Amino acid sequence: MSKLFTLFFKYNNWLLFLLYCSIAFLFMRLQDHEMLAKLRTGGIEFTSVINEKLMSFSSLFTLKNENDRLMQVNTDLLSRVLSLETAAVDERNRRKILADTTVNASGFIMARIVDRKFSDRENILVIDAGWKKGIQKNMTVLVPEGLVGRVTSVSEHYARVMPVIHTDFRVSVVSDSTSNMGVLTWSEGRESIAQVEHIPISSHLKLNERIVTSDFSTFSIRGIPVGRVIRIKPDNLFYSVDVRLAVDFSSLNQVLIAPLKIEPEKIEISSDTTNN
Amino acid sequence: MTRKITLYLVLLCIVSLVQEFGVSRMTIFRVSPDIVTIFLAFIAVTTSQKTSTSFGFAAGLLTGLLTGNIGLNMLARTAGSFIAGYFHTPITSHATAKQKTRRFYGAVIAAGICVNAVLANGSNPLGLSLAYRVFFFGLLESLFNLILAVILNRLFLRKSFAD
Repeated sequence: MSKLFTLFFKYNNWLLFLLYCSIAFLFMRLQDHEMLAKLRTGGIEFTSVINEKLMSFSSLFTLKNENDRLMQVNTDLLSRVLSLETAAVDERNRRKILADTTVNASGFIMARIVDRKFSDRENILVIDAGWKKGIQKNMTVLVPEGLVGRVTSVSEHYARVMPVIHTDFRVSVVSDSTSNMGVLTWSEGRESIAQVEHIPISSHLKLNERIVTSDFSTFSIRGIPVGRVIRIKPDNLFYSVDVRLAVDFSSLNQVLIAPLKIEPEKIEISSDTTNN
Repeated sequence: MTRKITLYLVLLCIVSLVQEFGVSRMTIFRVSPDIVTIFLAFIAVTTSQKTSTSFGFAAGLLTGLLTGNIGLNMLARTAGSFIAGYFHTPITSHATAKQKTRRFYGAVIAAGICVNAVLANGSNPLGLSLAYRVFFFGLLESLFNLILAVILNRLFLRKSFAD
């Protein structure tokens, strides 16, 4: 017995070590025990809370960098959103145009408005289709809602369009139900109001009557809506007629370009003055 | 003595927290120094093997609670402290400050290798081979510990190892 005690005191370091190791092994063995699991969970909870506080504290020092980084991310995301939104709007407009039954878009060329100038110096629309896509001068530009204008000059990839709301623009129009002929013009003023000239006093033009392009036009195909009569005022020989334009020029972004009206014989006979 | 033990226990808690929330984030080559091992080596050199083993056990419990692997940490720290206990310098010894310091560094290296070896055997979060973990990481961690021990000795512990 005394030998055992001697041995115990001699190797008590080892015994203590073995005791601790046994407890450690026991802990490892009972790792999934409910109590130990609770202890572990509590420890993780505590560590996480402290880590969170430390992270938020340390983030104060890197705030500027973080701000810059977020700004960069924001910029990237914004550009992506803008690009996607633009694509979505373009696609929606394209579908709208294609779905419109009043316009047979099969022979039409579709284009997007890439520039618009409506100032005292210039009043034009620029579309992203040029002679490479088959665009020619004097082609009619329209949307399902109505007439937009006519092509005035063409480059390889772009074309300039003179809109209806241009003081030099003229197009032959006809009223829908009473078939009164006239010439549509626009004098500087409101973007949505144009005038129809040369409608004689004797005609029976009505308010709210639809005005469409006539076959007399040298460039436009007939039947393209132009607008509705909103005011009729008698003058000496003709009516002074105001028309609310069908197209909202402020929100235009996608247009159709109608194939060129080729009527050489008509042009020839119209200009022929020999057999008057 | 009791006062000293209490002080060491408080210090152990602080050191464990500092290790978990501070030092363990300073990784170089995926290895971070371990100030708990350095502290246990210091206890082993200045007190006794028994005390250091008990402190190792307590340290294992604490770090285990903080890291979520209680049993393995207890085993590793207990073993490391026990090994470090062999570098204990009794008060009655006539060892010079230099010798005590050397023994302290020896304890740091031995305890570091031992702790790392046990932990490497028990867990492999990076999926590396055991030999790599034991030798490369063990030696690297011991080197970091030694550098830190030298710095701490120069700054705070010199008085403890005085002649």
